[in-house]
Amino acid sequence: MAIDLSRISLRPFKLTDVDDFMLWAGDDQVTRFLRWKTFTSKEEALTFINDVCIPHPWRRSICIDDRSIGFVSIFPGSGDDRCRVDMGYGIATKYWGQGITTKAVKIALSQVFKDLPNLVRLQSFVAVENIASQRVLEKAGLLKEGMLRKYTYLKGNLEDLFVYSFLATDSFPVVDP
Amino acid sequence: MEVGGNEFTEITLRPLDLSDIDAFMVWATDDKVARFCTWDAYTSKADALDFIKNKVIPHPWFRAICLNGQPIGAISVTRNIGNDECRGELGYALGYKYWGKGIATKAVKLVANTIFSEWPNLERLQALVLVENVSSQRVLEKAGFQREGVLRKYMTVKGKTIDLVMFSLLSTDPQS
Repeated sequence: MAIDLSRISLRPFKLTDVDDFMLWAGDDQVTRFLRWKTFTSKEEALTFINDVCIPHPWRRSICIDDRSIGFVSIFPGSGDDRCRVDMGYGIATKYWGQGITTKAVKIALSQVFKDLPNLVRLQSFVAVENIASQRVLEKAGLLKEGMLRKYTYLKGNLEDLFVYSFLATDSFPVVDP
Repeated sequence: MEVGGNEFTEITLRPLDLSDIDAFMVWATDDKVARFCTWDAYTSKADALDFIKNKVIPHPWFRAICLNGQPIGAISVTRNIGNDECRGELGYALGYKYWGKGIATKAVKLVANTIFSEWPNLERLQALVLVENVSSQRVLEKAGFQREGVLRKYMTVKGKTIDLVMFSLLSTDPQS
């Protein structure tokens, strides 16, 4: 049965998210295209939530009924690059293929450009094999700008990446319901 | 118009040093040369000497583009570390009176022919060019780079957020 997307929200992480966090951050399928290593212990996860997620400039838990099922992160640039941010996200496999990540990204887009009023460009890099994630970005209204060949190593694999972007001047997607 | 035939065998690359300062000043003080670069044209010899001392000499890969042994421009490749060590970024500048003769293209080809063997972990040489800088895009195309796309409002340079064209040459691409 399709999930009612009005149950989806974004909020900062809390230490009490740790057990829910382990369900998705402890899954190789979820971390496969992330720079994150798969978490293997609750202690590791607690430290990470406390030291990284909570102080992070912009990281949100994707929640269903306020329970953590994934994350969206925005990494600001600095200096000449401060007009742009990088976006990354991941979600528990149980919630794949139901429009949830797309909704979370749409919410993130509208929040980030409000929170960072000088922001001009949000970009996201996606491995060419990660077709589902490319669909998320396309449905959320980002523009595919091109393919960057052999751009970086991801977990020891030299990757071709698609680069997608959204500008402050682009049309913001409707977040429904 | 070409000088000396079709091949610029007299175009060579070598390290730039402080004794090249007068030659350096010729292109580095020229607004036409600096126009599409991240740097502003130099206005003092002292600033230019500082640049050579603090940035050029310790640089991982910085060369003077020479015509008959005399520096007429510069070309450089920056390095990355860790997961990004596969990637280097190319930049170049050439004295205005030497434009339109295939010299920059020759210099880029000289770099492409050597950098992948000098840096065995390098897989990708990339270059970012302003969308308005059509001449520089032609240089990269003629040197065998592939145009990958336009990165909209990618960086802020000289107070403006600019659109850049991304080009790349892989170690596995045919060298022209």
